[in-house]
Amino acid sequence: MKVQVRSADNATIIDCIGDVDLYSSPSLRETLLQEMHAGPAGVLVNLSEVGYIDSSGMATLVEGLQLSRQTKTRFGLFGLRGNARSVLELARLQRVFAIFEDEQEALQRIPSTEPFGGV
Amino acid sequence: MRIVISSDPRLLQMLRAVVTYSAQEAGFAASDAEGLAMAVDEAASNVIRHTYGNRLDATLALEVYTRPDRLEFVLEDSGPRVQPETHQPRALEDVRPGGLGTFFIKCFMDASSYDESFSGGNRLKMVKYLSRKVPTSDESPGQERG
Repeated sequence: MKVQVRSADNATIIDCIGDVDLYSSPSLRETLLQEMHAGPAGVLVNLSEVGYIDSSGMATLVEGLQLSRQTKTRFGLFGLRGNARSVLELARLQRVFAIFEDEQEALQRIPSTEPFGGV
Repeated sequence: MRIVISSDPRLLQMLRAVVTYSAQEAGFAASDAEGLAMAVDEAASNVIRHTYGNRLDATLALEVYTRPDRLEFVLEDSGPRVQPETHQPRALEDVRPGGLGTFFIKCFMDASSYDESFSGGNRLKMVKYLSRKVPTSDESPGQERG
């Protein structure tokens, strides 16, 4: 999996490309925590190029969510499809994350998204 | 079919591919095959993380048996004996990192259990039944393939 970081108007976007599993999730975790500590207004994880995410990947996203509360960073996911969407829903995690359909919607709505509760 | 891999997380992708292929060959829909691949991936990840403590130089073996009404997956390791009660899924309401691997195994498999008689480590058997099997032209009734 490749992890790339770019800046947009309202948030830092982390693009994930490939499978997120036990091998690759530490790389996502490192980037996510680093960017969260850098203090942007918001962090968005782009999962549109992720065909597979396992429980270690979900644990990484939950850890990011928890850190977002500590650092008062707005945090969201967008582009979920296939396996990534269905396993997140199976684990009932869709109710704790701010999930946007695509990048455009995410960038429009992230500034008005409430800091997240539930975790 | 039996494949043996080292306990390197990079090889999990290969395990998933084997399971997906086996499941589709057995007549499972693509979405079910993906679920089975995830279940086996989670079981193997548990072995790598918890049983082997992230060592890369140990081995795992996966056996896949195609039965007329089901697929059986047997994951074998040579680590210390697992206490199944310590591998229970967490409550979904208790949102925190971790604790979902066993949950997904239970979601996607119809049954899973450790072989208590196995003495060389751990042997986890996972079973998925075909609810609507798509017959293949070269398969006779009652035939079993390993």
